[in-house]
Amino acid sequence: MADVSSIAPTGSRIDWAKLRRRTIATPKDTAITVFVAIIMGWLVWLALDWAIFKAVWSADNVDQCSKDGACWSVVHARHRLILFGLYPYDLHWRSTLACVVIILTVVLSCFPTIWSFKRLGTLWITAFSAYYLLMEGSLLGMEQVTTDQWGGLALTLFLFASVVLLGMPMGLGLALMRRSSMPVVRLFASLIIDFIRSLPLLTTLFTAAVVVPILLPDWLQGDKIWRVIIAFALFFACYQAEVFRGGFQAIPKGQFEAGKALGLGYWQILGRIVLPQVFRHALPSTVNMVVVTFKETAIVIIIGFFDILASAGAAFGTALWAPYYMEVYVFVALIYWSFIFSLGQYGEYLKRRMTVAAR
Amino acid sequence: MLKKVVKAGIVITAMAAAPTLASAESATVKQIQERGTLLCSGHNGSYFGFVEVNDKNEWKGLDIDLCRALTTAILGDPEKSQIVPLSWAQRFPALQSGDVDIIIKATGWTMGRDTELGLQFSVPYFFGGTQFMAHGDLGVTNAKDLEGGTMCVEAGTTLERLAANYMQTIGTNVSMVSYEKASELRAAYLANRCDAFVGWGPNLAVLRATEIENPDAHVILDDKLSSEPIAAAMRQGDEDFVDVVNWMLAALMIAEEEGITSANVEEMTANPPNPRVARLLGVDPGMGERLGLRDSWAAEMIAAMGNMEEIYHRNLGDNSPYKLDRGLNNLWSHGGVLYAPILD
Repeated sequence: MADVSSIAPTGSRIDWAKLRRRTIATPKDTAITVFVAIIMGWLVWLALDWAIFKAVWSADNVDQCSKDGACWSVVHARHRLILFGLYPYDLHWRSTLACVVIILTVVLSCFPTIWSFKRLGTLWITAFSAYYLLMEGSLLGMEQVTTDQWGGLALTLFLFASVVLLGMPMGLGLALMRRSSMPVVRLFASLIIDFIRSLPLLTTLFTAAVVVPILLPDWLQGDKIWRVIIAFALFFACYQAEVFRGGFQAIPKGQFEAGKALGLGYWQILGRIVLPQVFRHALPSTVNMVVVTFKETAIVIIIGFFDILASAGAAFGTALWAPYYMEVYVFVALIYWSFIFSLGQYGEYLKRRMTVAAR
Repeated sequence: MLKKVVKAGIVITAMAAAPTLASAESATVKQIQERGTLLCSGHNGSYFGFVEVNDKNEWKGLDIDLCRALTTAILGDPEKSQIVPLSWAQRFPALQSGDVDIIIKATGWTMGRDTELGLQFSVPYFFGGTQFMAHGDLGVTNAKDLEGGTMCVEAGTTLERLAANYMQTIGTNVSMVSYEKASELRAAYLANRCDAFVGWGPNLAVLRATEIENPDAHVILDDKLSSEPIAAAMRQGDEDFVDVVNWMLAALMIAEEEGITSANVEEMTANPPNPRVARLLGVDPGMGERLGLRDSWAAEMIAAMGNMEEIYHRNLGDNSPYKLDRGLNNLWSHGGVLYAPILD
């Protein structure tokens, strides 16, 4: 184990001696290093040449586009479609504002000062209502925009945020129920978790979107988007419950007993002793789940939602822009990457913070 | 006793009146009028020429225009149509569950859909032939030359089954690669992921028209697999709604025959050149009542959307980037197969 700690990063400075020893110590090493460097340099050059040097940037000179360089004109002309889907063109400021609210809220909730149940709860409920009121509009006396017109990045963010927000507490609840001492509750939780986990996400969502309206009476159906969010959140919760279960199992039974001996009640033991540790243990897998969920929201395209991938498809789905699908996909990939990379970095930060707390 | 007689009398009068009433009472139309919007099928992305999204994030295309025409006929305003994005696989369940009132989405009229799925179809408004397209440098001229090759197909469409059937019939082995979306299929084909792909005539023409490098690099093979009648699909059980949709399409065709366009419809209404035009445009009343609509529905529809020719050229033909020849989709009087029922 001593080796592992010696590899641990010692800051951002480069250890030149070590680097030299590892890359050009012998003629054979040198040859391999040079060869790999040339190949990689060539690939980078190809990418840059396509994406920047030979690229066309403005929608006005689309006629200069060729197969050699990227035609970013398509992004220039159609970015509002990609970002906001079918949302009415004149009302895009509302969609923009709603996206900013959600992103700000995510950023704000990363600061430790906010981390109390009350503050986080207030923040998210406010942000969520703000998002909904802005997007839907009728309650603020603005023009109403029904949910089937929501789309693009705005819809992807909304789906993601609501699934994780609803799914997290549901997952915790299911995990607690599964650990319950009451057999009925335990059995019920296991049944739900195992049942939902044995179905593909696509089936679950298709059922919620398409089959439920055939079975239920009108007044019980609700909006399609909410049915899908609830089904998605349930799916998320079942996996997250298993992640939490792993966290619970890592905590020695003695801690519960010690808590009881001190005269603490069930909820006090849970809230003050067990859960903080559970979260810490479950953190890496939770970040993983959240990242996967962000990407999985793209599946709603199958049930006719205009998420960012669907609107990207529509962006190059017209005669003028048809040849430039690659540029649109690169643009969407960059959006996905920036969100998921930030999520991952935030997870790393949390882990570091919590390791400090554990010392 | 007297009460009973009166009651029986009422029942008899009601029964006698029923046939005339029934012809103007469609549950779906009533529902649409109460709701104030017509729910139409859109697409989860874009289907060249039929369902697309323009730079202002608004739907456009042949199918969208027909939906708007129907909306104008029923509600008097094309803006009252609400386009619900649907995937191919989702369209029929969505119709059954009431998410949409009608499917106008490049949907072929098949026996299975007509019977097992509980749908009913309007008269066809478009005919598209199924053909293969292959990379020109392979040197293939017909489907037999594709032996041992790969073919891209769109998953879950009639084309997939049709192509598999056809290849079996001519005894040629190809491996099928399926894609969910036309745009993916197209991208895969252009990236040489498959030797050929089965497509529907309009799509192939669109691909060639928009392929910037060299349209001659692709050949459309001689084999003709089918000519699919494309029609609007509705839920079984509301024949009166089918009547409305059929006569909406008929009115567009009659308008073309009579030379009524969005530009001259007002003039024609003020001064109808013949009794047929007078009837169609509601100058001579009666058309509306039979369908449970306003007498002026056709005139309003043509003013808003134009006739069949205008709708075609705007989306697929001369005024669109695709410049697709009308061919079979012309009126019977111009060598096509579109014809309207008789307006009496």
